[in-house]
Amino acid sequence: MVAFLMNRLGPQIICFVFGLVLFAVYFSAHPVARQINTTVLVDYWQIIFAFTLIIGVISFVNLSVHDIKRGHNRFYRFISLFGLVIMPVFAVIWGIKGDSPFMWMFDNVQVPMQSTVFSLLAFFVASASYRGFRARSLPATVLLVAALLTLISRSSLEGALPSFIAGTADWVRGNPSMAARRAILIGIGLGSLTTSLRVLLGIERTWLGGEK
Amino acid sequence: MDWGTLVAGVLTLAILSFLYRDNPVYKMAESLLIGVSIGYFLVITWSNTVMDLLIVPLTRNGRWSLVVPLLLGLMMFGRFHRKTSVLSRIPIAVLIGSGAGVAIPAMLEARTLKQVSATVSPLFTSSGLPDISIIVVLLGVLTTLSYFYFSREHKGVLGTSAVVGTYFLMIFFGTTFGYTVMSRMSTFIGRVEFLLSDFLHVTQ
Amino acid sequence: MIKLESRHWIFLGLFVLVVGAMVLNISFDIAVTDETQRLYNLIDSLPEGSTLIISFDHEASSLPEIRPLALVVLRHTFSKNIKLIGTALLAEGTGVGYQLMNMVAKEYGKQYGIDYVYLGFKPQYIAAILSMGESIPETFPEDYLGKPVAQLPLLHNVKNYDDIAGVISIADGSLTTHWIEYGASRYGVRVSAAVTAAMMTTYDPYLASGQLYAMIGGLRGAAEYERLINRGGAGKRGMLAQTVSHIYVICLIVVGNIVYFRAKRKKRSNS
Repeated sequence: MVAFLMNRLGPQIICFVFGLVLFAVYFSAHPVARQINTTVLVDYWQIIFAFTLIIGVISFVNLSVHDIKRGHNRFYRFISLFGLVIMPVFAVIWGIKGDSPFMWMFDNVQVPMQSTVFSLLAFFVASASYRGFRARSLPATVLLVAALLTLISRSSLEGALPSFIAGTADWVRGNPSMAARRAILIGIGLGSLTTSLRVLLGIERTWLGGEK
Repeated sequence: MDWGTLVAGVLTLAILSFLYRDNPVYKMAESLLIGVSIGYFLVITWSNTVMDLLIVPLTRNGRWSLVVPLLLGLMMFGRFHRKTSVLSRIPIAVLIGSGAGVAIPAMLEARTLKQVSATVSPLFTSSGLPDISIIVVLLGVLTTLSYFYFSREHKGVLGTSAVVGTYFLMIFFGTTFGYTVMSRMSTFIGRVEFLLSDFLHVTQ
Repeated sequence: MIKLESRHWIFLGLFVLVVGAMVLNISFDIAVTDETQRLYNLIDSLPEGSTLIISFDHEASSLPEIRPLALVVLRHTFSKNIKLIGTALLAEGTGVGYQLMNMVAKEYGKQYGIDYVYLGFKPQYIAAILSMGESIPETFPEDYLGKPVAQLPLLHNVKNYDDIAGVISIADGSLTTHWIEYGASRYGVRVSAAVTAAMMTTYDPYLASGQLYAMIGGLRGAAEYERLINRGGAGKRGMLAQTVSHIYVICLIVVGNIVYFRAKRKKRSNS
């Protein structure tokens, strides 16, 4: 009984109560309601979430140490751990503001590498355009024409192209394309709504993990 | 050239070397990136949340009510041991419950009702002519929604509607692909600009 | 020995074209779209002394595209003597936002604490947006530099979104959606966005419904805005390379299809 209370019923009740309270205070401008909102959102959410991030970092360290012990990708794991340790060390010694070594690492190591990794996608998109963008069927042709229209219209060749191309591309984006995206959005909205209700009412319990 | 630009330039080239194939230089740079990114994230979260919202108000201002979220946060560490893992369900319940409570009205209002009401507009202009754009949007939303309706087999009217919806989806994917190409090229152009101006001083 | 495959030639082609275009460094004026003009008009119409929140909701990965967008928005707002509150809903945007705000503030002789403040990052973006709607000082008891908000004159008269003329989310992902769904819907704050081009179609329904007031996107959006504020920048410099790369991708699609249909015809005639 105690195990059931701790494992399933207790968390489910907490989930329901917090959900109900937050749902109710959404519609109220009363100072008490606003205070509850602030307390839950600032104190509870932010702080618990920060701890979940710290847990993620600890898990990464555990995984790296485990790999090092097994001799799997040892050198690369060491480099990762070095990067992970050096940042807090810099932060503790010199702080994190302005021209600190911490920000130097961010500006000259993290930003250039991360943005370059992202820029590699330009090459893969180009390669995919050649290999995969085929007019195999009517829907595929429609997709291809829409893509070509967008690429031409947003290529800064306005002066050299008939004006109807840019006009047509804008109309396509603002109407049929937007309509499909809107339908997806409505679908996601309804899906999120029902999932939230299922979670609060205890129908959806996968977040509780296994049946133990 | 300062040390920072030199390091940034060399690391940029190390990442670009992946375009030839996966290689040790790329892997070293990638491993460093992973570590530094996690380190950065940890420091910023610690400084802006754990210190600002928890430790400072608790120790300096004596806000003892913060002991509750502190305990909830510490319960998350229960996940590291089988016997205590059940404790982490309580803070997760707080996050999921309050998240769902906040999401219901927001999803209903901002994502569903506002979008539905924006779709329902007069189909004719003031001069009595049909407004093609509004008709297309209405048709697009209804047929695309029907494509995602899986509770009934796509046959008859529903089948036809779903097929029409497919074309609207293709137009959306095509347009999005065009903008994605634009975006990826912009990012690469930015890196080339850095290499040519700051690193190699070829351009100003 | 280096062995090149077909994909390597495609990569090389793109690399040569973009580098060539950047070396040529030819810039030209481009047409300004209505959506860019709308954001410009919004900022331009705000009375002096209004306060805007600029939120750096992006990662470091998209910085080459985001930076020009952030710069044009910051330059325009500072030139109009609008007061700015900087925040970040993603950790990586934190350092970037602080540097960019300081850099542009220096260009316009703005003073920290009076003309602009930088509050930094809070995790869990939905909670951050909602709690700022209740109280900005309680969400950010200290600024990014660790100074208590009570010591920042700009924030003396700012409690929550009621005292803000609008939010401009500089984003590379879906975070602007949360500003719209929680900030705009719940608290009625006017949300605009400067986003990567890849995200523009995602936000189109919000723009069409009026939930998102204005939006600019991509390097092209930055180039258009640079033209409006009469100031060159990375957007304008990159337009030739952007155009060339688009044409290259169009050619690849066309050639790919020619190859495909020829192979298909050959296969059919053989059978």
